[in-house]
Amino acid sequence: MSMNLVLISALYVILAPFLGGILAGVDRIITARMQGRVGPPVLQPFYDVLKLMQKETLVVRKSQNLYILFFLIFIIFTGALFFAGGDLLLFIFALTLAGIFFVLAAYKASSPYSFIGAERELIQMMSYEPIVLLSAVGMYMVTKSFYVCDIVSFHTSLISYMPGIFLAFLYVLTIKFRKSPFDLSMSHHAHQELVKGITTEFSGRALAMIEIAHWYENIFLLGFVYLFFAGNPVLGVVLTLCIYFFEILIDNTFARAKWQLTLNSSWAISGVLGLVNIIALSYVLK
Amino acid sequence: MSSLSKSPWIFHYDASSCNGCDIEVLACLTPIYDVERFGIVNTGNPKHADIFLITGSVNEQNKEVIQNLYNQMADPKVVVAVGICATSGGIFAECYNVMGGADKIVPVDVYVPGCAARPEAIIDGVVRALGVLEEKRKRIKEIAAGQVTATIERASLDDAEKILELQKIAYRSEAELYNDFSIEPLTQSLDEIKADFATRTFLKAVIDGNIVGAVRGYMKGTACRIERLFVAPGSQNQGIGTRLMREIEATFPESETYDLFTGNRSKRNIFLVKKLNYKISRTEKVNKRVERVYLQKAGQNRG
Amino acid sequence: MNLLVLLIVVPLISGLLMLVSPGNGVRNFLVRVASMLLIALSVLLLIPGAAPGLFSLADIHSEHINQGMFIAEMGIALYILYACIRNRKIIATVLILLQAGLLAYFELKYGHGITVARNLFIDPLSVVMAQIIGIIGSLICIYAVGYMKDFHEHHAEVKDKRNFFFFVLFVFLGAMFGVVFANNLLWLYFFWEITTLCSFLLIGYKGDEVSVNNAFRALWMNLLGGLGFAAGIVYLYLGSAHTVELDQLLLLGKTATLLPAVLLPAVLITFAGMAKAAQMPFSSWLLGAMVAPTPVSALLHSSTMVKAGVYIAIRLAPVLQGTSAGFMIAVIGGLTFMIGSFITISQSDAKKVLAYSTVANLGLIILCAGIGTYEAVWAGILLIIFHAISKCLLFLCVGVVDNKSGSRDIEDMDTLIINMPKVAVMMLIGMAGMFLAPFGMLISKWAVLRAIVDASPVLAILIVFGSAATLFFWVKWMGKLITVIEPRHDLEDTVSSNEWVPLVLLTVATIGVCGLFPLVAAVFIDPYLMATYGHTTAMTQGNIIIMAIMLALVMLFPLSFLNYGKNVKVVDPYLGGANTNTANVFTGSAGALQTIGMRNYYMEWPFGEAKLSRLGIATTVVFLLIMLGAAILCL
Repeated sequence: MSMNLVLISALYVILAPFLGGILAGVDRIITARMQGRVGPPVLQPFYDVLKLMQKETLVVRKSQNLYILFFLIFIIFTGALFFAGGDLLLFIFALTLAGIFFVLAAYKASSPYSFIGAERELIQMMSYEPIVLLSAVGMYMVTKSFYVCDIVSFHTSLISYMPGIFLAFLYVLTIKFRKSPFDLSMSHHAHQELVKGITTEFSGRALAMIEIAHWYENIFLLGFVYLFFAGNPVLGVVLTLCIYFFEILIDNTFARAKWQLTLNSSWAISGVLGLVNIIALSYVLK
Repeated sequence: MSSLSKSPWIFHYDASSCNGCDIEVLACLTPIYDVERFGIVNTGNPKHADIFLITGSVNEQNKEVIQNLYNQMADPKVVVAVGICATSGGIFAECYNVMGGADKIVPVDVYVPGCAARPEAIIDGVVRALGVLEEKRKRIKEIAAGQVTATIERASLDDAEKILELQKIAYRSEAELYNDFSIEPLTQSLDEIKADFATRTFLKAVIDGNIVGAVRGYMKGTACRIERLFVAPGSQNQGIGTRLMREIEATFPESETYDLFTGNRSKRNIFLVKKLNYKISRTEKVNKRVERVYLQKAGQNRG
Repeated sequence: MNLLVLLIVVPLISGLLMLVSPGNGVRNFLVRVASMLLIALSVLLLIPGAAPGLFSLADIHSEHINQGMFIAEMGIALYILYACIRNRKIIATVLILLQAGLLAYFELKYGHGITVARNLFIDPLSVVMAQIIGIIGSLICIYAVGYMKDFHEHHAEVKDKRNFFFFVLFVFLGAMFGVVFANNLLWLYFFWEITTLCSFLLIGYKGDEVSVNNAFRALWMNLLGGLGFAAGIVYLYLGSAHTVELDQLLLLGKTATLLPAVLLPAVLITFAGMAKAAQMPFSSWLLGAMVAPTPVSALLHSSTMVKAGVYIAIRLAPVLQGTSAGFMIAVIGGLTFMIGSFITISQSDAKKVLAYSTVANLGLIILCAGIGTYEAVWAGILLIIFHAISKCLLFLCVGVVDNKSGSRDIEDMDTLIINMPKVAVMMLIGMAGMFLAPFGMLISKWAVLRAIVDASPVLAILIVFGSAATLFFWVKWMGKLITVIEPRHDLEDTVSSNEWVPLVLLTVATIGVCGLFPLVAAVFIDPYLMATYGHTTAMTQGNIIIMAIMLALVMLFPLSFLNYGKNVKVVDPYLGGANTNTANVFTGSAGALQTIGMRNYYMEWPFGEAKLSRLGIATTVVFLLIMLGAAILCL
């Protein structure tokens, strides 16, 4: 790991919450505009988080928030690993570990709504994990390295080698960004059925930590998307932001799906596109 | 203006409304009114909310629900009664099962009139609530910083309901500690606590007219038994517990000893009374892991 | 006497002593002493020079031993035949007749001409296996002392045959040492058949109809594997290889021109290993075996006996490397991993979850063996080590929970974290060891994935879907353990020290092996790979450091409990405001009190057991046939 990478990683840890927060604010404005509304100020996510910090912290079980703390820690760790150019597989495993702390926190809260949110979150994790791993496998086949730093400096854009995997990845990205139609576990719009799903029993500082963790998460997810376009940095950044806009568009045009559809469709798409792409790759690269 | 008033999250409860006001509340979210401009979000979860929006009148069916929801909101919080039914019971006020407006159960900060209340009025009400929210936040900060002193006074039978309510909130923490939600402080009924008033002396700690702590005691033979000392979760660590203890001891100057007990896991309770020179007199096993710890202190009158 | 021989003979003799011991006290004492002795002897193997590198029994007249083994083998065959006929089990009868007939013919006709240079041998791979058998196996035996006492208290209907039980357990341990030390395939086969017999006897221990039927299912499937084994040996000797020695087989496999002589035997023996390791289509016997008392499940059906199956497959991996037959084996392993993990989602019986997960993980090891590259074998051996420890811990924990709470259904395990805090924490550690970064199994899975993308990336599809399912069923179980909705019942106080000692040691081992895994790899795996393949693999320094940081961070989690309950206010869970004084009760319609229930998802629809099993059996049978065809044609 060179000094440069350490620096980028450190910058990520410091700047990601600001970038992520602004991104979330922009998201809310774009969403509002798509619905013919004015929407909140761009700094609204920061107001929300600062407010949550000032509130009292309610719990059902006293240890529940400790899991949230570790969720945040491991999300930051995961992102730092990614931006330090680390091993992609290790990055995915760290991400899973972080996600599990979040799910366990909701189980620990021992409330029916957080419980069902936790189960749904698990279904979501199960839905997206295969294609995320397959993306890493595909990237390895092309670049002969699992390291982000090698993948990002590969001479051509990976999307030309792995369009199938990219499409499938795009499909599950909606889950990861917690956008409709796959916002099963903690949708802002599902309080009729879920209350707040996995976050129901978290308030005050714990809820703020969850929010900040999502900002961190969104940034490294965009980083992951960028890996597909890294051959051309300028175009890559533009396309990555377009993808984010595309996700907002999807969010506003689809109704929430059931877990069956979420799991089955994402597995079917990951399986078929992933398999075809990997078989094609093993012939092309021979 | 702090970030608190820039991000008021709302929790809307339909008590027994005709849905007129509820439609208008929802109308506030539509593009015409777009309350998200002010950062207002309808959360649907009391634990996330800052503002409790009640529509409709309070009746026998929903009075406990309103109380529970209010208790499950994090401080600082405000209550807005929307529509005439929530303000006073409206045309249903005379019904056999209607108790009246929301203020019969929870402290209401802002009243929004109308039948149904217009969206403009509702938004105005919420914005006014922001002012209250801000004041409450400052007050809570002052209280937490110990700048406000609670007054300790003798409680009367009229306080029974409030004391019981606070007792149930405060003892949740103990119940979680032992994972036993059937402990007596949580199951006590209003009639039982009222009966206690006949035999015990109750002291209460009051800030801004709200009860934030209480303790009770009585003489048994020559000894004074002290029971159920508790302080509201938001007002702890400010010496209120210690003051309540001193005061209750002073109420029974004639006693030879002061006795109380707590569970072995309640380290903070034990710490507090030990600072007041109480010594562990004996312990009694409740089950394998839980012990009842009895503490005692000699009175002024002793031998 | 030689250490290897000691390890085989000591359990055998102590088993016999237990069989004739006069009372529970004496026998339990014997069990403890024998277990300690075995642990000590296995650890001795680690000391360089304590065991000779290669060992020959030429000076002890292996002729007599061979004859003795042959007679014992025929005796076992007769006993099995008797049991089969008495219970009218036709398939098993046919298989034992075929197998015994083939072997008798072979031994009587060619037996005198066979010369064997080395009957027993030891190398780093055998040492790894011996540690697992010696240490984990013995710990399970100690645990069994406490467990079986409770078991018979709770199950009055089962006849108390504990002397016999421990006898079989220790004979089995001896046989397992035999399996991993044998170089003479005829010896290996003999010990192999003993493990089959022990498994059969122990599954049927309860004696009720279900147990007996399941025992016979296990028997016929393993006999089918055994038949393949016997056929493999016969073909190996009668073919151009003309040997019955394992090291000769491996040596010949290295030369491309000689491969045809050894590939078919290697595939047939691996086939026996796959049956023993409960790969699809044979996985049903392992599920059925869960009727046996829990120590049996832990010892035979997760930590050691099934590991004999994958051990032999890993041994033969260099021969299978790069062949079509090997690829088919890898596909079957991969399918078993994926389908096994899928089915686990639909299970709520804790032992069945563990059983299916065992089948799945063994599939992963078989996959590594089928690929056969040095990277794959590196991953495979790591899997064997980590799986043995974590899975054993989980089985033993479930056994304790079952005995103390009367249920091993996962749905009944909520509130376990306060009812049995220590056991629950150990279970959580065991589960973390099974699937979570930075613990053992995940390190291995990572290595598997790397090995696969270098060899045949298409197989990665099976792995990624399988591991996604793994994540789901483990986390929902973990979640169940930490959820608290019931009032407290202390259940932990009557757990005996016989049970605590193995549990604590295994928990320490789960974390310790994970922390020390670079050392484990350097001491056990690298020398073996260097000797077999000439090169070895490892994780890069950077990644090891990152894993270490993650481990350290995870270890900080318990520390955070120092902050437990500070600055928080306890309130009821959100129940639409209809809460009552009791946290898990709410006021339903018309004022009726309702208790909340939280039940996990089991997803009967995509992951139902019956349908997926059929699918798995159908596809794997096809692949098995292709595998045999490819081996015969030597592709």
